[in-house]
Amino acid sequence: MTVATTWKQKLAGQVREDWAREIDIFETQIELRKKGKVEEKLFAETRLRRGTYGQRYDNGQRHDGEKTQTLPYPSGELTKGPVTMWDAPGMQRIKIPYGKLTAEQLDTLSELAEEYSDQILHITTRQDIQLHFIHIEDTPDLMRRLAAAGITTREACGNTVRNVTACPYAGVCSTESFDVIPYADALAFFLLGHPDTQDFGRKFKVAFSGCKDEPCGLTNFHDAGAIARTRTVNGELKRGFEYYVGGGLGAVPYPATLFDEFLPEEELFPITQAVCRVFARLGERDNRARARLKFVVKKLGIEEFKRLVLEERAKLRPDERWTSFLKDLHVTDEKPLKAGSELAPGTYPAGFDAWRKTNVHPQSQKGYSTAKVTLPLGDFTPGQGRAMADLARRFTGDSMRATVEQNMLFRWVSNADLPAFYQGLVAAGLGAAGADHITDVTSCPGTDTCKLGISSSRGLATELHKQLSVISDQLDPAAQELHIKCSGCSNSCGQHHVADMGFLGVSRNMNGRRVPHFQLVIGGQYKNNAGSYGLAIGAIPSKHVPKAVKTLTDRFVAEKQDGESFQAFVARIGKKEIRKLVDQLAVIPSYEQDPSYYSDWGDPREYTIGDLGVGECAGEVVPLVQVGLADSERELFEAQLLLDEGSSDSAAARAFSAMVLAAQALTREKNSFLGEGVDEIVSEFRTHYYDTKLFFDPFAGGKFAHYFFRAYEHRGEAGSSKEGAHQLIEEAQLFVEAAHQCYTRIAGALP
Amino acid sequence: MLSERLQLKLYLEPSAHFELEALIPVFHRFIRDQVIKDLLIDVVDYSHVPAGPGVVLIGHAADFYVGALDGAYGLIYSRKRGGPGPDARLEDALRRLINVARLLEQEHGLGWRFKSNELSLRLTDRLHAPNDDGTFAATQAEVVALFGRVYGSDIAVERVPAAKEPLSVRIKASSSPSLEALLEKLGGPPEAAS
Repeated sequence: MTVATTWKQKLAGQVREDWAREIDIFETQIELRKKGKVEEKLFAETRLRRGTYGQRYDNGQRHDGEKTQTLPYPSGELTKGPVTMWDAPGMQRIKIPYGKLTAEQLDTLSELAEEYSDQILHITTRQDIQLHFIHIEDTPDLMRRLAAAGITTREACGNTVRNVTACPYAGVCSTESFDVIPYADALAFFLLGHPDTQDFGRKFKVAFSGCKDEPCGLTNFHDAGAIARTRTVNGELKRGFEYYVGGGLGAVPYPATLFDEFLPEEELFPITQAVCRVFARLGERDNRARARLKFVVKKLGIEEFKRLVLEERAKLRPDERWTSFLKDLHVTDEKPLKAGSELAPGTYPAGFDAWRKTNVHPQSQKGYSTAKVTLPLGDFTPGQGRAMADLARRFTGDSMRATVEQNMLFRWVSNADLPAFYQGLVAAGLGAAGADHITDVTSCPGTDTCKLGISSSRGLATELHKQLSVISDQLDPAAQELHIKCSGCSNSCGQHHVADMGFLGVSRNMNGRRVPHFQLVIGGQYKNNAGSYGLAIGAIPSKHVPKAVKTLTDRFVAEKQDGESFQAFVARIGKKEIRKLVDQLAVIPSYEQDPSYYSDWGDPREYTIGDLGVGECAGEVVPLVQVGLADSERELFEAQLLLDEGSSDSAAARAFSAMVLAAQALTREKNSFLGEGVDEIVSEFRTHYYDTKLFFDPFAGGKFAHYFFRAYEHRGEAGSSKEGAHQLIEEAQLFVEAAHQCYTRIAGALP
Repeated sequence: MLSERLQLKLYLEPSAHFELEALIPVFHRFIRDQVIKDLLIDVVDYSHVPAGPGVVLIGHAADFYVGALDGAYGLIYSRKRGGPGPDARLEDALRRLINVARLLEQEHGLGWRFKSNELSLRLTDRLHAPNDDGTFAATQAEVVALFGRVYGSDIAVERVPAAKEPLSVRIKASSSPSLEALLEKLGGPPEAAS
């Protein structure tokens, strides 16, 4: 017998032929890139389409708190994309359609984390698994091993259809219209590699929900969202979907727009295909910041968009896959391992009652429960992965779901087994209670590994978890059920817009140094599939965020009226009250008094290099810029209040005014004779900051300046609707934020 | 040793004042001041994960972990790629592990002490080192030869029974030399990893 010396040999015949071929091609492309025979941009898109991302410091530079040092990677100048060094460790995103994992798949993922990564598996906010610190040359074998377990990383990133997500309770939930999983499963593989999904200008996200009122599917912020619905036609119960398009978070969140209140099940695939074709045809290509479907829908209006989609639908050549899966909708049904049972009264293991209270929910099937495993920040070890796989084999018969709250859900636990199941979790260090409660803080990777992170969202989430865990038992039940979500930047991967308290990483220049901050985002709604988005109230120094959470929580508990939600409470007391808290927490000690404020959570490096030269001009001009930027923030806040009062037109005008003030503050740095006229400010800003690219963000380029120019060109239009005013406020916030960053660069504190 | 990837761990003496987070600035300083010659990239804090990898110093060729993945705290040297040929891999890993353990013991702010005679070895390469009797026999022989020479005493090697995990062995020396003495025996602080 020949001993296999490569994974390709070892797994021969165990991998789907087409998947094996794709991986072979990718491996060849790696070799060609090493020989310089593939252009770096093309290679970057190729690897991204296989879920192989860059990571922080992959440009070969790292700031050590005092200075920027070069990381001398051994492959020298060889790159795997623009400014992305070949040897720099990267992230591998692994698509897990609707989060479903079998025990065998989890075993495989655990092996991969053990051999190629840093001993951690990470669940994302879109039900994927990510492994970090992976070398590009390890990825083909990693992909082969995944493929042998029935997982493909194809189109996990890039301008493609991303992981199709769905409610993790689908099929066992008492509020669902029907089980959406057979639809989600079939659509995920129908769209994977489909010719009509290969030419997008940006990514495309799909989500399913079994009902409208719960948060589980979060369909409101997806490009295509399908909510299960039934309707009786001629005495027959028909299945269909309330179908939404054009939702999205990102820097400027858009709620999805209703496309069809009842899309028959047989039309789900062709309509989605037609939506993809319209997106591919009309979506923006040159400006990534305006390339998501939400901008197409917004630009055309839903009626015109719908007309184009239906026109496209009429042209489609029939495809048997549109409906073939409908012949057997039970193909994705799960068979429980044990018979349903009741939990017998008795003495349970220590900690069981608390865990059961927060982590266990009855299924719609009598005698069974779902049990959630609380995973801090979505992280778990290979040993814990194997332990969960074994628990699935022992108790449920293979059913697990990675959730968007970054936990793992087990289904079909027979109730009498719950204590033994819990003991199994405890033995693996996984017995923590509090899933989806206030201590279970969601976070994107932030500055830990993401190239775009501004502040340490994971560091903040860890600290909040620590501090809240100490007091959570004493908290009022209403407070325990609050959701906190953190993002390291404005791209919203932590989904901060739909939390009770959301935090978004930003930075500020204070006392001549750069200080990590988080914008407090209030008013978002998690229920109703992420029914509404919050708005930023103001920036809080990172080290004061736990105090802000504690103060807000205490006040909510003390002042809430019967049955009042946090969102309703905030609306009742008003954002002015919340803003007072932000203002109180805005002041920090000087660096000499307490340097810890000038570092981020979990990272002792100084957040600023702190070597600002105090030139003769800087002593005067810098404070003036700061005053102007503070004025613009105040104006923004006023805009929010006006929006809350229902004055969309005034809110939009005020948001635009905030942009003008920020632009004016910066431009006076270059032209001290600058007047108050808007035309002059826009023109001078363009000359001094846009044409020179001085205002450009290192990653987003001129995106934020474009917001300003567009607001100028279309002033007076945004206020015609609440949504328009809301979006303008979001864009104004980003513009003002970019002005802060620009100012910091001018002052010399940023590269 | 055929496995290019391996993890060698030295265990910490239990301490009432053990504080894992105190390691984070130390590892950052290791990068900033290039305290060890390897290409070091970043520090990651996984202390929130129970029985997890703890605090990780990410490098290009190898990582260093201080965590409790197997339930007991210790320092792991985790070789990921490159390195010397099969005959020198284990010795190279031991040298790099002892070197960093010694540096950590010198950090007065940590107040850590390692048990110099208790280690474990995991072969995180299921292709070249499957968890079977053959791999164990070869590993045992190599460990006894190397550690016997370096420690100058009897070496006990015990296989950790866990079928799905990579092959893992516990190593116990009957003597407990100082880390300095061990490093000297191994040729002193290593050069940069390739």
